[in-house]
Amino acid sequence: MGKKLLLSLLFVCSICVVTWAQDRKITGKVTQADDGTSLPGVSVVLKGTTVGTVTDSDGGYSLSVPAKGTLTFSFIGMMTKEVELGASSVVNVKLSSDTKQLSEIVVTGTGVATDKRKLAISVESVSAKDLPQAPSASIDQALIGKIAGAQITSRSGTPGADVNILLRGINTINRGTSPMILIDGIQMGATSLQTIDLNSIERVEVVQGAAAATIYGAQGANGVIQLFTKKGKNGQLNIDISSSIAQNTYLNVGGVSKAMYHAFATDANNNIIGSSGKPITYDAANGIYSENVQYNSTDPTATNSKPYNANLQYHDHFAYFFKPANTVNNSIAISGGSQKADFSLSVSNSHQESNIINNGYFDRSNITANIGAQLAKGLTLRSITQLAYTKNTLKTSDRTILYGMLNAYPLADFSLTTTDGSIPFNMNQTIGINASNPSYRQAYTRNNDNKVDIIQNINLNFKFPKFVELDAKYGLNFQTQNRDLEFANQANNANVKYWVTQGSQNFISNYNTANTGDLTKYTNSKMFQNFLATATAVFDLKEDFGSSIPLKSITQALFDYRNSTVKEYTSAAIGLPAAYAPYNAANTTSWRVYRDYQEPFITYGYLINQRFEYGDFAGISGGFRSDYSSAFGQGSKPFTFPRGDAFVRLSALPFWQNSAVNGFLPELKLRAAYGQAGIQPKPFDRYVTITPTTVGNTTAFYYANGQSNPALGVEVSQEIEVGTDMVFSLFKGSSWLNGIALAATYWDRQTKDAIYSVDVAPSVGLGTLIDNAFTLGSNGIQFSLNSTVYNGSALKWNTTINFGKQSSKIISVRGDAPVVVTSNAGSTNYVLKAGEKIGQLYGYKLIHSVDAKDPNGNFFIPQADQEAYTVASNGIVVNKATKQPYFTADKYSFGDPNPKFNMSFINDFSYKNFLTFGFQFDWVAGNHLYNQTKEWMYRDGIHSEYANPITIDGQTGAWTAFYRGVYAQRTANGTKDYFYEDASFLRLRNIQIGLDFAKLFKIPATKKLQLVLAGRNLWTLTKYTGFDPEISSGTSNSAWDRGTDHSTMPNFKSYQATLNIGF
Amino acid sequence: MNKLKIYALTLVFSGFMASCKEQLQVENPNQPSSPALKTESGLVSFGEGFYITGFKDVKYYDGVPGYFWSGAIGNHELMGDVIGTDIANVFINQIGCPNQVTLDDGTVLVNPNSPSKQIDFIRITANVNSTGFQNSTYYEWAYMYNLNNAANTLLANIDGVTFTGEADTKKGVLKAWAYWWKGYAYSHIGSIYYAGIINDKANGEVLNGTNGNYVTKEAIIAEANKNFDAAAKILGGLTASADYTATMQGLIPNFNRVGKGGVLSPAMWVRNINTMKARNILVNTRVADMTAAQWADILTLTNSGVQATDLVFTGRSNATGDFLSPTTGTVSGKTTGANNTYKISERLIQDFKTGDLRLSNNFQQRSSAYIGETSRGNAFFTRWNLINRGAAGSEGSASVITYSNTNAGGYELYMASSYEENQLMKAEALMYTGKIEDGLALIDEVRKAQGAGLAAVAGTGLTLDAAKEELRRERRVGLLFRALSFYDARRWGLLESGRKNAVALSRTGVVSTKATISYGYLDYWDVPDNEIAYNPPASGSAATKNPK
Repeated sequence: MGKKLLLSLLFVCSICVVTWAQDRKITGKVTQADDGTSLPGVSVVLKGTTVGTVTDSDGGYSLSVPAKGTLTFSFIGMMTKEVELGASSVVNVKLSSDTKQLSEIVVTGTGVATDKRKLAISVESVSAKDLPQAPSASIDQALIGKIAGAQITSRSGTPGADVNILLRGINTINRGTSPMILIDGIQMGATSLQTIDLNSIERVEVVQGAAAATIYGAQGANGVIQLFTKKGKNGQLNIDISSSIAQNTYLNVGGVSKAMYHAFATDANNNIIGSSGKPITYDAANGIYSENVQYNSTDPTATNSKPYNANLQYHDHFAYFFKPANTVNNSIAISGGSQKADFSLSVSNSHQESNIINNGYFDRSNITANIGAQLAKGLTLRSITQLAYTKNTLKTSDRTILYGMLNAYPLADFSLTTTDGSIPFNMNQTIGINASNPSYRQAYTRNNDNKVDIIQNINLNFKFPKFVELDAKYGLNFQTQNRDLEFANQANNANVKYWVTQGSQNFISNYNTANTGDLTKYTNSKMFQNFLATATAVFDLKEDFGSSIPLKSITQALFDYRNSTVKEYTSAAIGLPAAYAPYNAANTTSWRVYRDYQEPFITYGYLINQRFEYGDFAGISGGFRSDYSSAFGQGSKPFTFPRGDAFVRLSALPFWQNSAVNGFLPELKLRAAYGQAGIQPKPFDRYVTITPTTVGNTTAFYYANGQSNPALGVEVSQEIEVGTDMVFSLFKGSSWLNGIALAATYWDRQTKDAIYSVDVAPSVGLGTLIDNAFTLGSNGIQFSLNSTVYNGSALKWNTTINFGKQSSKIISVRGDAPVVVTSNAGSTNYVLKAGEKIGQLYGYKLIHSVDAKDPNGNFFIPQADQEAYTVASNGIVVNKATKQPYFTADKYSFGDPNPKFNMSFINDFSYKNFLTFGFQFDWVAGNHLYNQTKEWMYRDGIHSEYANPITIDGQTGAWTAFYRGVYAQRTANGTKDYFYEDASFLRLRNIQIGLDFAKLFKIPATKKLQLVLAGRNLWTLTKYTGFDPEISSGTSNSAWDRGTDHSTMPNFKSYQATLNIGF
Repeated sequence: MNKLKIYALTLVFSGFMASCKEQLQVENPNQPSSPALKTESGLVSFGEGFYITGFKDVKYYDGVPGYFWSGAIGNHELMGDVIGTDIANVFINQIGCPNQVTLDDGTVLVNPNSPSKQIDFIRITANVNSTGFQNSTYYEWAYMYNLNNAANTLLANIDGVTFTGEADTKKGVLKAWAYWWKGYAYSHIGSIYYAGIINDKANGEVLNGTNGNYVTKEAIIAEANKNFDAAAKILGGLTASADYTATMQGLIPNFNRVGKGGVLSPAMWVRNINTMKARNILVNTRVADMTAAQWADILTLTNSGVQATDLVFTGRSNATGDFLSPTTGTVSGKTTGANNTYKISERLIQDFKTGDLRLSNNFQQRSSAYIGETSRGNAFFTRWNLINRGAAGSEGSASVITYSNTNAGGYELYMASSYEENQLMKAEALMYTGKIEDGLALIDEVRKAQGAGLAAVAGTGLTLDAAKEELRRERRVGLLFRALSFYDARRWGLLESGRKNAVALSRTGVVSTKATISYGYLDYWDVPDNEIAYNPPASGSAATKNPK
């Protein structure tokens, strides 16, 4: 269907080509005011027309123009200059850089490319030169800290892991916080952000609010991130080569370690003994320790004070399983162009190894092509292609490995094998009830996950000489995944065989219920098509009709269509050969298809928007968008989202420009916007189905416990934002603080009809019903401060400060019953409840004086019982007899886990165009994490804190009963404030120094020969006692599952050397 | 001219909007929707689906206790002290942790958990809505109401569908199937929860809901029997014709139609019902409170209960674990071996009589006692483990029952009544009504059937107390893993009075043989808080909380 429309548009466009009278030729050269270098790629346009060109590699241009008129010279990052044509046929122009940062053109959220000065909404933008070359070479990592107001966090250090992105507020529970990703105007619906090569991106724009995202309708509520790929520049052939190597070391900023001492039963020689009374030994024939340790952690006389110095020794499992890993990135880009066409091609590869031993790597290759051609006067065609091939051989999820390792007593020697060389899996409960040997998984797992991503955008644009512009875009985004996951036949493993003789099955598999291994093949694909047709009509009373009123009208009509099909196919061969290798799936004994799934989804809508501008002084716009969707309940009634915005630019008024205030405040704009945007239900949320399942040789039917809802509607988020953009000049005429640009926005939003699976009473015979049950509310402020602190002849210093503060809560829940949600990280006490913050944790609290009172004024510990308690030296009330801490009987909220604010400080220095230096600090304040990792390590006396002595009632010792009690009192593994930690942090995200030898030594024919030494995450200041305060073990981009740390791979610090070569 | 083009374009758009609209009904191409149910074969498939919806598909799941037959029933067997555990998922270590164990040397092992009494644990920790999936008391309720709802849905659709062949027979089988499982579900609810809800609404295609009128456990048992009677009445009019058999084969998965499982004749099915009705009386009345009329009812019911050659409702695994996984689908599977989730209880082992071949064929003494995580319990320490497929190194003795078989399809799970249960209920009724020898003869019959190899106790002149002890032991041993151990502990008063002369181990493996165990368990659970939160009791409801 998209194709048909494209063709018809092409047809409509092609008949409208008209010629334009041309009188004389103007030539000239554009240079940079600062250093006189030529400026290629500058747009030169005859004002009020579409007649124009761009400068070539030497900054030169040539243009046929009428006798009279004005030429406009514009280039991103430079002040636009207008020159009235006189008699001369040579017009040379010097452009100076725009320190106000406000002259950029943005397109995201506006529909029509708009000068930032005339924008009534807040749009953040970052250009490639401001993005760090992160070791992952991915755009998502590079954006951290760069977008004022956004919370972008690196949630895991696993190679290829995505980031958590929260723009403005938590607006949905059903679909997570991920914003919509556009690439060159087209939604990228199949490929994930971390697949995009950082080197191919020119610029990123971010629209955070619903007010701006209305134009994206039912998919815009979480905000929009738009990527723009690099384009070739007129007349300039560029070859850029970049090569980098980084060494990554896992972070352990909290100094997590295992206790050096233990409290197990020992004999006279300090040998750890079993219930037989004999020292525990390793049975190498079977790969087991002979007996369980004898450990009575609740014995109030037991202390964690015995060294591992006899039969069983202390092993540092972190040192054993973690390793420094390397990342290698290479990229080559060629770009160039003429007046009629331009191209940019790049090829790159990124290879990152796991920080866990023998766990594989993540490898990504990208090819990007951006080709534009002017087919006829005013008619341009652009094709943008991105191909990505991702190969992932990571064997085991980090959680599985870390959990097995963290829950092992340090006495476990994981380097031990059996006499026949097998790696043991279950070394007996001796090493910990939940521990297993991660090396076993690595030995028997093979993972080969291959993804190919294709993103193809075609854009046909026709500008009529006057008034109307037509634009059609078609994007096809396809991802195919072929993954083989093999668990080898383990029947011959000596340890596995031993357990079989003991009646126990110990093995790893995907589907096999026996130890003979399986090979699962996943064949998945996602096809996403987006078609977008826009007609824009612009009328300017002054320019076009000679009126004295400077009124401009911009009308936009837009239609877009999205069609997505997800396909998933999983089959498994069960029972793999043990006697020979290699083999393939055809050599196995049985096959079964486990999943064959298709998810079609169609949505389309149209937008009508009308905008009026009054000179440079004010603007107002209003419009609406209507969307239809296959996911909307009960038929196909559209949802309509209204919008409106307005700005007043006081500094554009004559009185301002002539007054003294203009000297220090040359720019002041006030703006406000209102809009609604939606979040679609999941494709099948409205379709009630019967689940067929194979039972033996027949098929059984049942209604699954999660019930769909035919009446489901879209989630609607509405927002008001007000803001200001201003520029200060503090010491005009000096080199200091000349342009300080401040953009500040306050926003307030509400999501109605937020969807979630709400419990039904179990006696209904079902579990949950998907319903528009929640109302959510959020608000926040954000600002960014960009300034050139110093701008001297040789040295330049730019500073950016980004700040964001936001909070989201649940306003109401239908039926008012709290919804209990289970964290992916294993914690249970997230409760979604009206009036509470989203992601708030409930749990038991410690008290710090024996006569502490609850909120109702009653003693926590009845007065008569207080005698039995005392305050330990660590300030915690404990029972004198049991030495266990007291936890409150009731559960209390631990408060808002979300950050109070996020802030980034970015500084860049350049010295004489060859030396650059920069650093970025990210500060997340008031952030909290539930340290579930530590709680698990507390359970069995593994955490190093067990060896910390405390004084209880005059007795000092590393009392195991206290530490065990922290885990077990009130509720074993219950949610306790003891483990709820301040995870605020200040992190040196980036620091880099670059030296450009080409410029330093003026090497001929070489534009750039730059060596950059960079560090990432080198230093962190935090009180958090876990590995890394930035990680989150919840589901990626979950609305509520954000604040738990449970055995997730921490981020890593990197030292990176990069060589950038440009010709 | 420009305007014209805009109009033209608008027209094109409108055309698209119209054609796009048809595309919006994408449906769900992966699964059928409700019309698929409303055919003869659809209804039979839906009836077979009871095995899934009733025992495998509720909103919470934790793989360690697993589904109904290993998890929900695991709670029964833990509280019945035939197994123990130091695994803490869904608090399985706490639901079956006695309040205290007093060893021979006077050492008292208190429940080391917090709260340290099972009743407090249920009230404070487990049965709180915010505890979510860790609420041990949620599962049996949810599975059984799922089963009830599936049966309601089947009943609601039978009469609207046209059947081929012997339509009345097929309809009758499906209706009997639905009433039987409703009776079964209410039996489970009324035998473990203090109150329940009678819900005849069908939820699935649409949400018809439930009601807030909670009724007593006695009323729930009455409802169970009412449904059993409805099934029996229909079955009384059916014969095992070809269409009867074909329909039953559609309802009972092929892997369950093995051994004692299979297509029950209408008469066999009625006898299964009678045994279940006898159970409903027996397990819900303290043995001390049984009336002569109740014993008489049990005698009447068991006299027309399951016979030795009758087929019964069984469950078996298959390699793909469609209904039960071979190794983890049952309490038996999860108890098998030295290092499994559940550990065999010393109190079960001591209930075997000397020389009982069922002990030697199924259990093995460990080289050293299993002590485990002492901070998680006080009674799971054990010297024994359950052997897979009989005595070590072989398939065991074919003439002796095996309690475990982790081969696919190897283990036969009794889902409802069994011949042994029927005979032992009858034996008990006989003994309590003065016919001790008749009762003992039935115990001998059961032992013989299971290959126990024990000398007959009938004719040895046992006193009533000695006969009751034989019965007690035989119910423990002969009905092992048939989800009856907690009911027995409750009706024998063990929850309150505890157990004396028990075998128990210290934390260092020292064996006591005269230990005293105080269980202190709640006899009937409160209604799960998740139900209360979403379906608060209407006025006039029975108490939803056990006053204990």
